[in-house]
Amino acid sequence: MDPFFLEALVNGILLGGVFALPALGLNLVFGVVDVVWLCYAELVMVGMYAVWFLYTQAGWPLWLAFAACLPIIAVFGLLLHLLVVRPLLTSPPINQVLATGGVLFVLQGAATLVFSTEFRSLGVDMPPMEVGEVFVSGTKLAAFCAALLGAGVLWAFLKFTYVGTAIRAIARDREVMPLMGVDPRRIYLIASAVGGALAGLAACLLVVQLDVHPFVGLSFGPITFMICVMGGLGNMLGGFLAAFLMGLIISVGGFWGTTEFSYVIAFAFFIVTMFVRPQGLFAR
Amino acid sequence: MPNSGSSRRTLLQAGAGLGIAASVPATARAQTAPARGGDPLRVGILTDLSGPFAGAGSVPLFQGGELAIALFNERGGVDGRPVVGVSADSQSKADVAINEAERLLGQEKLEVVTGIYSSAHAVPLSGRFEAQKKIMWITSAIATAVLKDKNFRYVFRPTVHSDQYAEGTVSVVAEQAAKKLGMPPEKVKLACIYEDGPYGTGVSGAIEANAKKRNMPLVLKEAYSATTPDLSTLVTKLRRERPDIVYQVGYNPDITLFLRQARSGGLRFRMLFGHGAGWSQIDKLWDTFGKDIEFMCNADPAATQMLDWSKLQPGVADLAKTFVEKYSAKYQVRDLPPHASMGFNNTWIFLEHVLKPAVRKTGGMSADALREAALQVDIPLGGTIQGYGVKFNPPEDVMAGQNARSICVVMQFENAKSHVIWPSQIGREPVMPLPPENPYALKS
Repeated sequence: MDPFFLEALVNGILLGGVFALPALGLNLVFGVVDVVWLCYAELVMVGMYAVWFLYTQAGWPLWLAFAACLPIIAVFGLLLHLLVVRPLLTSPPINQVLATGGVLFVLQGAATLVFSTEFRSLGVDMPPMEVGEVFVSGTKLAAFCAALLGAGVLWAFLKFTYVGTAIRAIARDREVMPLMGVDPRRIYLIASAVGGALAGLAACLLVVQLDVHPFVGLSFGPITFMICVMGGLGNMLGGFLAAFLMGLIISVGGFWGTTEFSYVIAFAFFIVTMFVRPQGLFAR
Repeated sequence: MPNSGSSRRTLLQAGAGLGIAASVPATARAQTAPARGGDPLRVGILTDLSGPFAGAGSVPLFQGGELAIALFNERGGVDGRPVVGVSADSQSKADVAINEAERLLGQEKLEVVTGIYSSAHAVPLSGRFEAQKKIMWITSAIATAVLKDKNFRYVFRPTVHSDQYAEGTVSVVAEQAAKKLGMPPEKVKLACIYEDGPYGTGVSGAIEANAKKRNMPLVLKEAYSATTPDLSTLVTKLRRERPDIVYQVGYNPDITLFLRQARSGGLRFRMLFGHGAGWSQIDKLWDTFGKDIEFMCNADPAATQMLDWSKLQPGVADLAKTFVEKYSAKYQVRDLPPHASMGFNNTWIFLEHVLKPAVRKTGGMSADALREAALQVDIPLGGTIQGYGVKFNPPEDVMAGQNARSICVVMQFENAKSHVIWPSQIGREPVMPLPPENPYALKS
């Protein structure tokens, strides 16, 4: 096999890993709370700033900055739910979307005010791995492994814990579960915190790959939404798989055609998917 | 549901209000204060103070323009009449730029708007200014397409245009190939990657034309979106083509993304040339990459501190010195970005050589009076702090409104500073290829 094509395939899979975690978090929240957090990518941005600040300004070790990022963004997720989403739970969906969209602008504006429009960098990079003629970015590979690990921990939490089971049950039928003694308000809070923590983990993986600036969410936010819809909104496994599919389409399409053309293919694929399977590729 | 509409409105207003308030730096929210009494002369400054362009040079462009107005007022304005800068933030979005320009012209009733960082904004804006017969004074946006074959009468650009960038960066390679790379120019493989807006398209098209003119092979020419989250496949393709020289035309964060992924993707080359915008933010690039970008090159109009001020026209060196001192004191930078010089210089040209004579002649600052004054400007080489002279092409020219005396230089980074290497008459000997210790250097 052409080593450069093989490298493009590997790039696609690693790129899928970048998209997978935000897609998981977004789908978890939507599946349980039934509200789309339009500001999800901006939560990731806040997490990236948190790591940058703790590591480069406060002098914390990188592992500690990473560890702190998860609870910090989990708290942001909780606050988002308590202050913005919960008061609008019974409102029309458009109000909920507009409200979380408003938070998006607030977070972007607040980040500009606090950190300015400068591009911030951790200055951390891992050496690449060279296998024959194929180069694999050490940073992206580490991020990919961490994404898989995070997804595995989430799966175990949802599968083997009582709260996780309740979350899955609510996601399947939010009308019936309260009748069986599950407090949906508590589950919503937990799902929002877990969704926030996943955004925090995504921030840890992205901050070593991208510069942080108030609008960094534009780089991956829109495509994350597309992936979620393509995999089936609320379907965590679907979103996870769709992330890798999208990564491969972009990478291989870019290799055979051009970088711009690869996004044309990806968006065309998305549109066709919406015609053929509007419920999402992996919806049951 | 009457309440839902009302609450939605409230929410949108609050969100928008917070977002806008938070996204505009304090310096931009206030109008630039007049220094003394008299009827103020109001001048618009439209730049990107938020969004990706802000960090890619638009903020120093604004700061330079603002400083020019402050210094102009400090020196008496126009016979005691101060200039008031009315600033607006186009937020790195073309639609916002259009709306803000409409507001500046319609509600603020301005006759002239300066600034305009991005060519993607300048292209749609220029036609609107022309239609409304108001002056658009471009201090940054460089795409040739903004002016070419348009025969605009109210749009002026004192700075360089994109064809000049390619002329510089391709010429350096052609002139140095035999001596520095040990091969004839026809054997040097070039590759060009560029952001897909008018700026990237304009410069890359000129690179292709210049390479063709010199029979230099362009092995890859490919566009990408400046906000793309990944360029690793493009890096793979570049590695496959094994170019000696890589040209990048980007803003930011695509520049840092490319450098990072190029390194981890094993891409090696003999030299890399940037073309202004993010590549001109020397301090930021140095903070991020340090010695890794040592000896890489960039094309742009010269930042004033790179020039030998003794060769400038009388009085210009003092102006350059004052600008550098004031800017350095206010913004605490290691090396002034070219955009700061561009903002200051091109605004100063307007204030001193267009506004002042127009007001003196007509008593006011109508767009037509400013236009007449602009067409009379005749500044010789060395007459501005960036070294170039000013003479605008007349409306019948294919590049009407373009400064025919603008000069683009190619510079090379060394120890967090930029040094001119082209034109060779004013530049120093370039270091080429990249030294072997550079992580991007092609070893054989």
